[in-house]
Amino acid sequence: MMASASRQLNYTGTFVYRHGNDIEASRIVHYVNAAGGEFEKLETLDGPPREVIRTNDQVTCYLPNTKTVLIEKRNGRRFPALLPAQLTSGLAQHYTVRQSGMGRAAGYDCRVVVLMPKDRLRYGHEFCAEASSGLPLRAKTFNEKGTLLESFAFTEVKLGGQFDRDQVQSRYAAESRSWKIGRAASPSADRPGRTGWVLASELPGFTKVRESKRSIAGHGTTVSHLVYSDGLAAVSVFIEPLPKSRPPRSLSHQGAVNIYIRLVADHMVTVLGEAPAETVMRIANSLEYRGAPGQ
Amino acid sequence: MEHISALMDSELNESQMKQHLARLKKDPDLLNCWDTFHLIGDVLRGERVLSVASRQSVSEKLASEPTVLAPRRRAPKKMMTYALSAAASLSAIAVVGWLAFFNNPLAPPSEIATAPSNPPPLAAPPPQLASVPSDGTMNEYLIAHQEYSPSTTIQGLAPYIRTVSGAQAATGQ
Repeated sequence: MMASASRQLNYTGTFVYRHGNDIEASRIVHYVNAAGGEFEKLETLDGPPREVIRTNDQVTCYLPNTKTVLIEKRNGRRFPALLPAQLTSGLAQHYTVRQSGMGRAAGYDCRVVVLMPKDRLRYGHEFCAEASSGLPLRAKTFNEKGTLLESFAFTEVKLGGQFDRDQVQSRYAAESRSWKIGRAASPSADRPGRTGWVLASELPGFTKVRESKRSIAGHGTTVSHLVYSDGLAAVSVFIEPLPKSRPPRSLSHQGAVNIYIRLVADHMVTVLGEAPAETVMRIANSLEYRGAPGQ
Repeated sequence: MEHISALMDSELNESQMKQHLARLKKDPDLLNCWDTFHLIGDVLRGERVLSVASRQSVSEKLASEPTVLAPRRRAPKKMMTYALSAAASLSAIAVVGWLAFFNNPLAPPSEIATAPSNPPPLAAPPPQLASVPSDGTMNEYLIAHQEYSPSTTIQGLAPYIRTVSGAQAATGQ
């Protein structure tokens, strides 16, 4: 059972993403080939057509209505391998983790796992994972009042199946050659290293798991990128020189992701993550530039 | 031994590792747990899944390791029960359980003491800034962020739907 439950699991299915008053259905295909290559395709079924393709460590988003391709390529290890062992005051310290019996999703029996936050710096989560494979069939995120912020739920899923390369290729592969391409990062342009930016006071449970200077699609200059995580939620901090038009301080949201923009020391700071607005704002507000020795 | 070293080397120094091994040796439940989560760690990193036989040999080698330090405390029973039952399934549960295991029984006691133990006051000051729906200009940041978010490991590509959600695609750019 253990062996069959590895990341070698192939699956195809339809899931529904719900956030606010919006509901969107998408098709997802996940394959791992014999050589261990990972291929995944996400295709929206409602509204304007959009596709996201993962081929090993490269993620490509096709946005046909704006004729844009966004490419995010990364090197290094994926979470949770990048989590430092020092992240010890994380999950169990800041969430109450419990199993909540069996549930049912997409026609499968699944195990319900609930993570209740112990403070207001993080959201609550509920997962329902298919009983034999462990594939998450349903994921819900709640705010501190218990209000559902967003949910992902398979309505139909097929576990197992043969790898078929055609099923994980974009239908826009050919026509997108003339589209605008935003190349977010090449491996050589996203090297971990000190940025000179630090948090004057860290938030309980949130540990820095990544610090690098990198490129971001559509942004001409190098951007400093710091990631803080409590093991379940992650908050990214992006720091770049002020653009020509000074952006106002602003708070916005997309599903369970909160986004806060402020100016610090002639830089624009964008902080976002699947955490409450308070968390995102507190991280942004404690950011300081202390200089980067040796640079 | 080498398998456990492979898991821990990059994350723990030698004395921490010895301390953990000593604890594993003293506590069969913990050892069983460790065995399970060692396997899950391999799976999560996409490495070859170890056979039951090789995991047993890890346990045997562990048993012959000298005890360096006596265990200071047992893992809380609730977490142990949870961790063991998580062995039955992987992915979301495994991520959660594996991290819970890492983050609790093996945690240095000093770090735990710094965490808040009381529930926060009910009247949390609300953010003074009204939050508005994102206008689609954050796509690039969201994609860059998503790659480093635990939700990507737990749910694969699904959270990327946020990045390219219909409202954004319709009004953005």
